[in-house]
Amino acid sequence: MVAEQLIEDIRSSRPGVEVKEVPYEQRGYWFDLSTGPEDIEEVARLFDRHGYYIEDVCCVDFKEYLQLVYHFNHWDDPRRISVRVNLSAEDPVAPSISNVYEGAGWHEREIHEFFGVHFENHPNLSYLFLHEGIDFYPLRKEKVPVPEEKKRLLSSLPVSESDDVFFVNMGPQHPSTHGVLRLILKMNGEYIERAEPVLGYLHRMQEKMAENRTYLKYLPNASRLDYVGAMSYNLCYVRAMERLCGIEVPPRAEYVRVIAVELNRIASHLLWLGTYLLDLGAFTPFLYAFDDREQILDLLEGITGSRLTYCYCRFGGLYNDVDEDFVEGVKAFLKRMWKRFKIYNDLVTGNVIFIHRTRDIGVIPKEVARRYGVTGPNLRASGVSYDLRKAEPYGAYRELGVEVAVGEKGDALDRYLVRLQEMENSLRVIERAIKELPDGPYRTEVKKLKPPEGDVYFAVEGPRGEVGIYIVSDGSTTPYRLKWRSPSFSNLTCFPEISKGVLIADAVSILGSLDLVIPEMDR
Amino acid sequence: MRALRKAFGDDVVKIGFGLVGAGFVALLVLLLLGLLGMKVWKLFAPYGREAIRALVGLVGVLGFVLFNALLLVWAERKVAGHMQRRIGPKEVGPYGLLQSIADSLKLLGKEILTPRFVDRPLYYLAPIIVFIPVLVAFVVIPFDARLQVRDINVGIVLILAFSSLNVIAILLAGWSSVNKYSLIGGIRSVSQNIAYEIPLLLSLLPVILLAGSLSMKEIVEAQSKAWFVFYQPIAFIIYFICAVAETNRTPFDLPEAESELVAGFHTEYSGMRFAMFFLAEFTNVFIVSAIATTFFLGGYKGPVLPGIIWFFIKSYVLVFIIMWFRWTFPRVRFDQLLNFSWKFLIPLALANLIVTGWCLKL
Amino acid sequence: METRGPIIRFALLEKVLNLARANSLWPITFGLACCAIEMMCAAASRFDLDRFGANVFRPSPRQADLMIVTGTITKKMAPAIVTLYEQMPSPKWVIAYGNCAISGGPFVFEGQYNIIEGIDKLIPVDVYVPGCPPRPEALIEGIIKLEEKITGWRRFPVAERRW
Repeated sequence: MVAEQLIEDIRSSRPGVEVKEVPYEQRGYWFDLSTGPEDIEEVARLFDRHGYYIEDVCCVDFKEYLQLVYHFNHWDDPRRISVRVNLSAEDPVAPSISNVYEGAGWHEREIHEFFGVHFENHPNLSYLFLHEGIDFYPLRKEKVPVPEEKKRLLSSLPVSESDDVFFVNMGPQHPSTHGVLRLILKMNGEYIERAEPVLGYLHRMQEKMAENRTYLKYLPNASRLDYVGAMSYNLCYVRAMERLCGIEVPPRAEYVRVIAVELNRIASHLLWLGTYLLDLGAFTPFLYAFDDREQILDLLEGITGSRLTYCYCRFGGLYNDVDEDFVEGVKAFLKRMWKRFKIYNDLVTGNVIFIHRTRDIGVIPKEVARRYGVTGPNLRASGVSYDLRKAEPYGAYRELGVEVAVGEKGDALDRYLVRLQEMENSLRVIERAIKELPDGPYRTEVKKLKPPEGDVYFAVEGPRGEVGIYIVSDGSTTPYRLKWRSPSFSNLTCFPEISKGVLIADAVSILGSLDLVIPEMDR
Repeated sequence: MRALRKAFGDDVVKIGFGLVGAGFVALLVLLLLGLLGMKVWKLFAPYGREAIRALVGLVGVLGFVLFNALLLVWAERKVAGHMQRRIGPKEVGPYGLLQSIADSLKLLGKEILTPRFVDRPLYYLAPIIVFIPVLVAFVVIPFDARLQVRDINVGIVLILAFSSLNVIAILLAGWSSVNKYSLIGGIRSVSQNIAYEIPLLLSLLPVILLAGSLSMKEIVEAQSKAWFVFYQPIAFIIYFICAVAETNRTPFDLPEAESELVAGFHTEYSGMRFAMFFLAEFTNVFIVSAIATTFFLGGYKGPVLPGIIWFFIKSYVLVFIIMWFRWTFPRVRFDQLLNFSWKFLIPLALANLIVTGWCLKL
Repeated sequence: METRGPIIRFALLEKVLNLARANSLWPITFGLACCAIEMMCAAASRFDLDRFGANVFRPSPRQADLMIVTGTITKKMAPAIVTLYEQMPSPKWVIAYGNCAISGGPFVFEGQYNIIEGIDKLIPVDVYVPGCPPRPEALIEGIIKLEEKITGWRRFPVAERRW
């Protein structure tokens, strides 16, 4: 298999690298490589040659040293491999792998501004999230001030371009309901030469907050990361802790979790549909989509108590049991929703203007998707059939199974069709789950959550892509380090690449079709 | 003026509008009295009957323009609401009828902001110029056989000539607000309007050939046997598409494209100046529907009811269809818009014209 | 910066104008975070804001008179918000919607470095709507309360509390 071949190659070319096999059920990854900073670029090249995609780049501050953790995964051989690099705490320097995996470029910028790690050969190591005037590295355990010579990297805008082109600034206040994303577009007439997203307008310090709160107290904040698909984040966090502590979940809870997550997925896709068409100028599908979404929100409010940011999955099961009203409501909703697809297809899919605005716009080739770490419907629209619910099944997906919707070309029209198909597939999963809903307890009692030392990675398939969490625990009741792998962040890294030479109207269309939610990018 | 405004705040606006409104009400009272038969014209005797007739007509037209704007603002929101499975304005007066009045009063009472670096003369001129073609067009539209302010024998040429002023007004608005987005919006609007004026003219020409005259009244009279839409269906469709593009409505509302360029050419206008653009747009919608009615749907001709009622029914049906377009279609991209006009509509309209001319010669 | 009111005041005119302003509040499209979705839900078909005349969302601040601040305010975003507020012509009102806009919300902790705890540290607020996120009905109640603040008369009167 691919992983074994890769390890053979690494062992032969760089013998200094230690390779360990790790129990997957406890850790979430299969192999653990430790290497020094001088070997990491070659190791990354080997990963690239074997077709791995970059999942996440993370940094942990163990006070005497800093540790960089890279996670790689493969579409055909979904066994996660993590690579660790230890750096000194006084002067952390590491080579950048953004020449091999361009998607790692932004991750490295983030690590630079939060931890102070300097990456050599990085094309643009400037600040991504933090505001002007911050003079310490926030995520370090002690307050480390920014040294003087690094302060010139604080500004993130490119300077001194020629006179012919002019800059157009889109946002941060958008009429197009994206949230606070700012795009600086270098324009040549109506064509974009370069697009530079500026993030950080909604940076809410989730990762620092996690280090100050216990596991249970952090639970409500997890779903505020992606408020549209909040159930996936909730599920991801809870399952990661259950994996770390080895908590068993009763089957009824697993089935209800699947039903809630799939309902949330449909709601999220409906919201995307409405806002995407609002971007393109059609006002009415927005309201129809919100109407359907209200039905789902009513159902979920009956069991969870909130409309938008759920805190339903708890450690060991669910917060509340599910009653007959919910089951009857879901059945009625299913019957109604199947008929609604006809409306959307009539109004939107066959519309000539819509097709002209989305066909062949923003094509993401497979290689680009792999090197930037694009996941979710964007990846599936490019023709890669990779869905975490099938590749690394978790919860009740092992019994229920999922149909995967795949596109062909990877343009905006394909992304639209894939998401519509995914809504239908979710309806089928909910039908099966409701039919086979087992009886039993809905929760196993967890007296006190004291996880063992170690780290864990868990990934679920959210509506936007792969939602991952990497928790490092030091045995106490608060996490030592908590890092979210957010799909919108990785999806946006490919935007400057695919938006070269397009019109502004097309840039809006591409941005809408990528389905971004800003708070999960800014964390 | 500026010192006055600084001293009294926006009271100057209130007083000024009060005076204008008083003058308007006085004219309306005179009109009413004149209709009732009192010998009001003795006041204007030195000027002759034509002058009185013109004055009365202009006042009526002005009243109609304002009434139409109020009605269309309310109707747009109600129609939009019902198409989107909700009800529109409901709380403000019965069925929300007072909503447009509330909107206009609010806009009247808003602070009139002038950004610091705008080009003053052009900035102040643009909202005024945008209203001129609207008022002039109403002079020649035949509401009924004898309800037309002035039947000029080149009526349609007058309307089309003055509608080009619309383009200038938008360009002035975009240029004078020193703002990248307004400029882009203004330039887009200019190229869109120019591109769609040509097929508009070309699709009206076959009707003029059929009727044999440029005067609006004669064109309506020439439809006594059958409406021209049956003779010229293609011309009607082309005219309708161009009309929607000329008035900058969706699917061709790129100059005001909300999700791309904040608000297009009227980004920097606030309060009553913005209301001018707003009103002019709605009145333009009515004017193009009225022209379509006159040219293709038989104008004021109809069996039982008086002509003016038929005219309003036909025009408002077309207005409703234009509103329907807005809430159904997404926006067309700019280059697709221009391609559609230059490469598709103009050849089609030319072909239609040639075929019509050839048939008439035979 | 103080704006002096007009010297001459007409009582009936002010009343009529205030009624008109209250019934035709035009919000600016300004959603920052989670509460923005609830604002969009309030503008959608189920909890229709257009009944009160408040559904004309204008993208340009120069044409809007109500700013509904929905979501967390970070230090990077703060100058943009203040600029937008100053660009709006008076009379203008602000609704602080959601816990984050009122006082920082669930993101306040010891050692926080990036958010501003409440929008009223930057701009004057007229109505506070608490919740995380507040239901769309709460936004409608907030708008009715704002109308009461403007006109002095409440549209759907609530029964008096006896305690």
